[in-house]
Order: sequence, then C-alpha cells, then structure tokens
Amino acid sequence: MKKGTIVIIAIAALVAIIFLWGVRVNNRLVTQEENVAKAWSQVENVYKRRMDLIPQLVNTVQGAANYEKGVLTEVTNARAGVQQTQVDPSQLSEEQVRAYQEAQDKLSKALATTIKVTVERYPELTATQGFRDLQTQLEGTENRITVERGKFNEAVQAYNTRLRRFPTSLIAGMLGFEKKGYFTAPTEAAEPVNVEFNF
Amino acid sequence: MSLLLFSLLWVGTSAQNGWLPPKSNKLVNDYASILSPQQVHSLEQRLVAFSDSTSNQILVIITPTLGGDDENAVAQRIGQTWGVGQKEFDNGVVILLKSKSADENFGAVAIATGYGVEGVLPDIFCKRIIDEAMLPPLRQGNYHSAIVAALDIIEPVLAGEYSYAQYRKKSNAAPLWGLAAFLGIIAIGLFLIWRYAKKHPDEFNNKGGKGGGGHNGGIFFFPGFGGGRGNNFGGGSFGGGSFGGFGGGGFGGGGASGRF
Repeated sequence: MKKGTIVIIAIAALVAIIFLWGVRVNNRLVTQEENVAKAWSQVENVYKRRMDLIPQLVNTVQGAANYEKGVLTEVTNARAGVQQTQVDPSQLSEEQVRAYQEAQDKLSKALATTIKVTVERYPELTATQGFRDLQTQLEGTENRITVERGKFNEAVQAYNTRLRRFPTSLIAGMLGFEKKGYFTAPTEAAEPVNVEFNF
Repeated sequence: MSLLLFSLLWVGTSAQNGWLPPKSNKLVNDYASILSPQQVHSLEQRLVAFSDSTSNQILVIITPTLGGDDENAVAQRIGQTWGVGQKEFDNGVVILLKSKSADENFGAVAIATGYGVEGVLPDIFCKRIIDEAMLPPLRQGNYHSAIVAALDIIEPVLAGEYSYAQYRKKSNAAPLWGLAAFLGIIAIGLFLIWRYAKKHPDEFNNKGGKGGGGHNGGIFFFPGFGGGRGNNFGGGSFGGGSFGGFGGGGFGGGGASGRF
C-alpha cells in the first residue's frame, strides 16, 4: 500500500470516529433534554392546579358576611401576573425560569397573605368545611409544587452537568444545546401555606 | 481511545436532598419502638398479603424525628426514594407517624399518595382520614389503633382501583409484544421463502443432483428474548409471608398531614 492511501484511510477512520462520537453525544443530550422538558411539564401542571384553585378561594372569601374588596386585590393581581409570563418549554433558559419563578413566588406570597388575613378577619368563614377543604387542596398543591420543582432541578442538573463536562462541552454548543435554568431554593414567600386550625 | 475516554468520564450523578430514615425492606417500620413485636408482625403480614393480592403497596413508618423537615416532605421523599408501589401504576401509599420526643415535642402524621392513587385518595380524603380516624386515637397515644383505622379505610379504596390481575397484565404486556413481533418476523420470513420456492421450484426440489449435501438453508437462530420483567411477588407467593421488595413507584407530593 502506498503511504498516501494509508494516510487517507487513517483520516477517514478519524473522521468516522469523531462523527460517531458526535452522534452519541447528541443523542444523550437529546434524551436528557427530553427529561428536562418532561419535568417542566409536571411543574407547569402543578402550578396550573394552583391557578385553578384561586378562583375558588376568591369566591369563598367573597361569600364572607363582612367581606372587604382589598383582601383579594393582591392575589388577583399576582395571578394575572403569572398568566403574562410565558415560557418556551424547548428553551428553559436561566432568564425564563427565573422570570417564571419570580411571578409564581409573588403569587405564593400573595396567597399566603390572603389566607392569613382571611383567617384573622373571617373566623366564621374559616370554620366551614368548604374553606378547610380548600385549605387542604392548597396545601397539597404547594407540596406538589415543591416536589416537582425538586424533580425539575434534578433533571436540569443531570443535563447541565453532562453539557459542561469535557469532552461533551467541546461540541455541545455547536450542536445547539444550551444551559438550562434552575429554580432557586425556596424563599420565605414560596414556603407551603401553612395555617394551623385550632378547634 | 474514545471508548476509554467515555468510560473514564462516566460518573453517575444522583442528587439526594433532605432527610431520610434508614432504608428498610419492610412495609412496617417502627423506628420509635412504639408498637409491640406482635403488632408489627401482624401489620406486616397484613400489608404483605395486601401487596401480594392487589399489587398496591402501603408503607407504615413510625419515626421519632423528622430531621428538622416537614412531615409531608419526608413521607413523599420516602415513597419516591424507596420506590413504594409498582412502577407501572405508581400505586404506593406512605403512612408516616412522628412520635413525640424530648427534642421534637410534637406528634405528626402524614399520608403520602403515589401519582397513581391521587385520584382515589385525593388530598381532602386523606385529610379526613387523618382528622377523623387517626388523630383521636393518636391523641390518646394509641398508634396501633390509628394505623389499623387508616388501613381499614385505605385498603378497600385501593383494591378497587388496582388489582393483581391488572398488574400481571400490564407487567407482562411488553414481553408479549416482543414475542408477537418475533413470531411475525418469522412468519414473514417463511412466507418469503415459500414465495421464492414457488418461483424457483427446481432449486428446492434438488432433482438436478447438485451434490449429496442437499440444501442447508433455513437455519433459524432463536435468540433468548428477555423473559418477563421481574415482579415482586416471588417472596410472598411461596407462603413465607415475607415482602418481595418495593416496586419503584413515584410520588408527587399528594396527600395530607396533621399534628397531635
């Protein structure tokens, strides 16, 4: 065999190996990106569940005998704010996740305040079974939010770690994969709505 | 070379945040030593039998501490991490009781529901079970009655949702599809050979005397296609009454809690 032929074969083999490696890296990242997207859809589900409970809360509070309008302003505004935050599930960039979390945390805070005020001002309302059931549902929803946020963060962590690890990091950018955002540790506002009933 | 690189860089990542009690392979775990050994034994028998007959797994755990965490979070984490319930159904339930202790002077109870049973055991229902069936005996220090009362309500509800027959059907479905596909490919192969033989009869009749060996086509390889997915009923079905293991069910934070 001529020297030239050997060189060509060697280069071809190298190109083939690099190509196969690229395919492998790409496929793994795609799988993990899918996991992140799946975890995100669960996050959206549980937040949506909370959104759906708010009108119930509003209606219940409005039914109180000495109901004042101001009690519900904050929570209805925060809910509207959440509806304006749009997130592209195929991107989930750090900015998007942060903006989403900010809007949702604002709503968490508003919700906690509303319930606190309601319990203080309308004791006869909060003694009803209907309100207690609503309270249980809201609590359960907050628990689910915490869980799904945690699962989302785990999926993102696995994806980001792979993305940034050598040698994947060499070609991930070329393949169009970008770092995704996390939910940050629950702030005071995002903690589960927890009101003790003492009967 | 690249393979070597891959194997060098392959490090599993598993993030585990938050407090968990020591892992066990039993359905009744009394870390606070409140129940008598007989009570633990009879509850375990009951829950293993329930798991064997319906595939639903209920885990009972009594702990003297929550590691500073919230009872709901701990119950969910146990269910998710230990994998209570079957993977196919996510039909696990965790009943967590925290006893009063010197440094954490409150009692707590939480029921965590797997994704698959959130429908039959909604949060409100769990809350009612806790408030009406569990808290009254718990306030008198009667943990055993509280657990039995909860199981008496939860078991029939779960049994109506997922049965063992359903579980068998679902966990065997995948291998059966594999078998069907395999048989289908063989059938197509045979059909093609048959069609070919019809078009070229002389090659198959061997009348021309091409040699003594005859034709030696048609060797089929039967690769072992993986057997049924391992199920967790081996232990129980042989009469030992021991628990076969958790099935990998997932938990999403459903359920309710109460304090006493």
